[in-house]
This record gives sequence, structure tokens and C-alpha cells, in this order.
Amino acid sequence: MSMIISSIGQGMLWSMLGLGIFMTYRILGFPDMTTEGSFPLGGAVCVAAITAGVNPFLATLLGVLAGMCAGLVTGLLYTKGKIPVVLAGILVMSALNSVMLFVMKSPNLSLLNLPKIQDVFIPLNLPTNYDTVFIGLLAVTIVIGLMSLFFNTEFGQAYIATGDNESMAKSLGIHTERMTNVGLMVSNGLIALSGALISQHDGYADVSKGVGTIVIGLSSIIIGEVLFGELSFFQRMLATVVGSIIYQLLILLVIRLGFDTTYLKFFSAVVLSMCMLIPQFRRALHLTTGFEKYFRKNDVVATKGKANA
Amino acid sequence: MSYENHQTSHGKALTATIVVIALILVGGFTYELGRRAGIKQASGGKAVSQSVQSSTGTKNGMKRVGILQYVSHPALDQIHKGVVDELKKEGFVDGKNIQIFDQNGQADQSKLATMSEQLVNKKSDVLVGIATPAAQALANATTTTPIVLGAVTDPVAAGLVKDMKAPGKNITGVSDQPPVAAEIKLGKQLMPQAKTVGMLYASTEVNSKSQVKTATKAAEALGMNVEKFPVPSTNEIAQTVQVMSDKCDFIYTPLDNTIANAMPTVTEEANKKGRPVINSVDTMVKQGGLATIGVNQYQLGIQTGKMAAQILKGKGKPATMPVYTFSTGDTIINKEQAQRLGITIPDNLRKSAKLVSTEVGKQ
Repeated sequence: MSMIISSIGQGMLWSMLGLGIFMTYRILGFPDMTTEGSFPLGGAVCVAAITAGVNPFLATLLGVLAGMCAGLVTGLLYTKGKIPVVLAGILVMSALNSVMLFVMKSPNLSLLNLPKIQDVFIPLNLPTNYDTVFIGLLAVTIVIGLMSLFFNTEFGQAYIATGDNESMAKSLGIHTERMTNVGLMVSNGLIALSGALISQHDGYADVSKGVGTIVIGLSSIIIGEVLFGELSFFQRMLATVVGSIIYQLLILLVIRLGFDTTYLKFFSAVVLSMCMLIPQFRRALHLTTGFEKYFRKNDVVATKGKANA
Repeated sequence: MSYENHQTSHGKALTATIVVIALILVGGFTYELGRRAGIKQASGGKAVSQSVQSSTGTKNGMKRVGILQYVSHPALDQIHKGVVDELKKEGFVDGKNIQIFDQNGQADQSKLATMSEQLVNKKSDVLVGIATPAAQALANATTTTPIVLGAVTDPVAAGLVKDMKAPGKNITGVSDQPPVAAEIKLGKQLMPQAKTVGMLYASTEVNSKSQVKTATKAAEALGMNVEKFPVPSTNEIAQTVQVMSDKCDFIYTPLDNTIANAMPTVTEEANKKGRPVINSVDTMVKQGGLATIGVNQYQLGIQTGKMAAQILKGKGKPATMPVYTFSTGDTIINKEQAQRLGITIPDNLRKSAKLVSTEVGKQ
């Protein structure tokens, strides 16, 4: 039971990663490889700051800021430097490896016996793993709240329009380059937040913690899409969080069922592929999925803030 | 927002899933609180000791051992084998009187937390963490179940124990810190004219850092200069070794996974300039290094298993068991390599050392 609770909590912490990738991959329509660097960077900056005596909440915020800077660099390389976005992301990702070593002065930094964000719940004497759940709930509420606010502003609408059709957005006088930069900053800030929270949950930061994180983020988006199909914008963010929780539960299930964990990556790839294949089966059977339908009507959603069935 | 006035069937599925998750969370919460209240009533406030006892209580007399290994790799696998073999020797046979639960993270750090919790949840009586990230994940999952470290180079720097002699908490184990100072001394003994040592290690590995620090001190004490060459990955090793060969009289590599994987490259490049390489692991000498004072990985596993067995028998508590460090090991010299580099092995070493040749197919 406590394992399930723990997985739900971890799922919420990981969901910030999914939401970050959602900002770029789903809305702007490009894969941002900075993810695998900004995720451990968030953790590295946060843990290094805590080690230096900074308050854990402030340290987490510093981690987010570091992630945003990384996103900005990728954005500038892409918009001003005209470097293809995948390459720009990869460049920043590999550069961040050195940045983390500089920040932590070591490839791995432990948080054992140091304060972390979960410690605020110690006086409440909560049951095991509920500290993670409450941190997750708090973070998810704040992030989704801010994101809904953002997408309802004129700026947010312009951001969505940029992703829908860049040339049209440009003709409407939207600064698409600025939108891309902001998108990459916010996205990597969220990813770094996830990294900072996970590092505090795991009790250490490590330069190689980013390996494979992009798969986890994509999984949560895709699981959410496949399971719940047609949704409003707000619901799609919730679905990403739920998708992230389900991914963690699936991993728990695979470990629990007693599979040889040596081959765990194979199982998680199978899980992800299955999810991605479901829409193909549906199409073959002429069952329309909600997702494509939804995105075709994205502009309607964007302007009216509600899905139009 | 929108989803009150518009609900497709999919939107309902999402709402239902969120409700289920919320119910699980609330249900679990009230159950835990209820159980806690029950225990408190039953034992008159001694809730903590009660729950600890019930969690370490063994079912049908079987003790449980949970092993979390960071990644499969010959050295770590040897340690794993050593642990299991030694447990058997001490009378704990898997499936007979103990149950061993294995988890292997395969270098994916995102899964280590879940795996550790799984092992703690199986009510393991003792946990074994092989390699630093695995040990850290275990340490984070429990503060009560005893943890035995296998192959953690610097448990203090990794934040696992407060003090090597008196760990103080639920963690103790074996450090795989090689006898670094002795290895540098061996290098000087083989190459008395050496003025500069180059240290080749991965900048991404925490275990290498502390070794390089110790090695630097040892080299400076012997009057040699030290040049450090951290590499970010195996891809930069060839160029780095080329540069080193120009600047240094011999190359030293600590116990480092990245360098170990690329040892053939190191040998190849160093041989071009005729620079000897002093290693920290016997397998690296067999791949063309000149010499090492090696701690056998299997031996490390045996020592780890011995400590786990002691805890299982109730003969020791991690808090008071010092972390075991090997201060010496077997001197291993590659005679083929020595000949090629024109190095004469001093007589005293020739007698005591184990002479090996480069293994075919490994260079």
C-alpha cells in the first residue's frame, strides 16, 4: 500500500517534467533535448544551494531559475543563431554537464542529514510517503494554476497560436521568436523544478540523473492522451499528471511482478510502445481518437477556452 | 473551467481516474492514522518500537536479504557473487533459511528509489547496496533497516556515514577505496626517475575524486609533480592520453568505471609514446597497464557478505561496526608490458608480486 502511495507521490513530482515537455513538444511542436540536461541541473543547483546553507524552498527556486536560463540559451541559439532546435538542445544539454560539475564541484552530491523541502511536514507526523504526496499536490496545483492563468492571457493565446501556425501568427503581429524563447524558458524551468523535487525526494543529485528522462516525460504525456483522448486544455494538463502517476504505477507493477529488473528498460519501452500503438489500432478499427480531433480544433479551444465536441 | 459545462466520455474517464487516485490517497491516509491510533492504544504510546519490531519480525523463520545493484558490470557482478557466496558459507542459503531479493537498476537512476522502497517493503532484515547511487537510494528509503555498503569508495563524501570508524546510524559496509598511496609508491619504485604523474579519471564519477586527492598527496610526498586530466566521457580519452604522454612520466588511473571501460584505448595511446600506466584494478593491468596493488572485487563481496551475516546473526549493529577498508592488496605487474617499456622489475618486487601477461583479445 505504501508503495502505491509512494508511486503516486513520485508520479506527481515527475509530472512537472511532463508538463514542461508538453509546453514545447505538444504546443510548439518541437522536441527539446535540453530536457536531459535541465532536469539534473535543477537538482544539482538545488542540492548545491542546500549544501551551502540556503533554505530548501529558495534552493528549489534557484534550481528553477537555472533551468530557465538553460532554456533561454537553447532558445537564443535556435531563434537568433538559426541552429536547428534539436541540435541547439543537444549542445546545451552537453554543456550543462560541465555546468553541473562546476556548481556541485563533484559528480554526485548527497543530501543526507541536510534539510529538504519535505521537512516542513515532519512536525505533522504524517504517515510514510505522504510528505511526497503533499509536496507533489502543492507543486502540481501551483504549476497547473499558473499555467491556466498563463494560457488565458493574451500572451498565452499568442503562444498557442505560434505553435498552431507560425507564419499565420507572424502575420498577426505576434513576435514568434519571443514566444519560442519564453516557451523554452518556462518549459525548462518546469523540468528543472521536477529535477529539484526528485533530487530532494531521492536524497542526492547526480550529473547522470538526466539519462532517459525525456522518455519518462513523453510517456506521461502519451499515456494521458491515449487513455483519456479528447479533452479541454485544462484537462489535458491534468491528464499529463495522471499519465505520469500511471507510468510510475506501471513501473512499480513491473518490479512487483518479479520480472528480472536487469531488463526493466525493455519493459518500460514495451509499455510506452503499447500506449503509442493503441491509436493505430483504433484507427484501423475506424474509431476516432479524441486526441487528433482535439488538436484539429485547437484554435477553437485556444480562443474560447473550451473544447468543442 | 471548461470541464464543468462540457464533458465528453473521455473527460469522464479522467475525472473518474482522478477520483480513484484521490480515494486511494485518502483511504491510505485514514488507514495509516487508524492503525497508528490502534497501536498507540494497544501499547500505551510505544508506537514506534512496536512498529519496528513487527516490521523486522520474520515470517516462518526465513530471514530476508535485499540486494540493490546499481548496474551490471564485471566488477560489481563479482561483488554480488562474493556476497551471496559468503552468506552461504556463514550458513545462510537462499531459499533454505534466507530469501534474497535482487534488484538491479541498470544505471537508470530514476528507478532506484522505487526499487529501494520495494526492498524495504519486503521487510528485509538487511539491505546490501552495491555502488554509490544504489547505496544512497537505500539510505534514503529507510533509517531503521540495517544497510551494508558494497563498493562505495568514499562513504563519508557520499553522505552515507558520519565517520568511517563509528558510522552511527543504520549504515556500515565495505569501502572499495584501493590502496592509492601504496600504488603511487609502487609506480615510483618501478620508475625511480619519474618526475611527473598524470592522473587520468572521469569527471562524472564521484568515487574518482577522493582517490585522486589521496593519490596527489602521496605523489607530492614522494617529490613528484601531479597533473590532473579529468575526462567527461570515453570519447575524449584518446586525445587526453596523447597530451598526457607528452607531459608526464607515467599515467595513474584510479578505480574508475569510465576509464576501466576504455582501458584498451589508454594502453594503445600510452604505448605509442612508451608511457607506463599504473592502475587500481587487476583487470586493467591485464588489459595492458603496467602494475597495480589490486583489491580483488570478489574479496570485496566476501567482506560485504561477512558483515551482512554478522548483522543477520544479531552479532553486530551497523552503528558500531567500522567501515572496512583494504589497506593492502596483491602487487600485480604485467611483465610483458614492463619488458616492452624497458622497465626492470626490482628483485624484491619480482619475488613478491604476481606477474601477469596482457590477456589476448583484451587489448
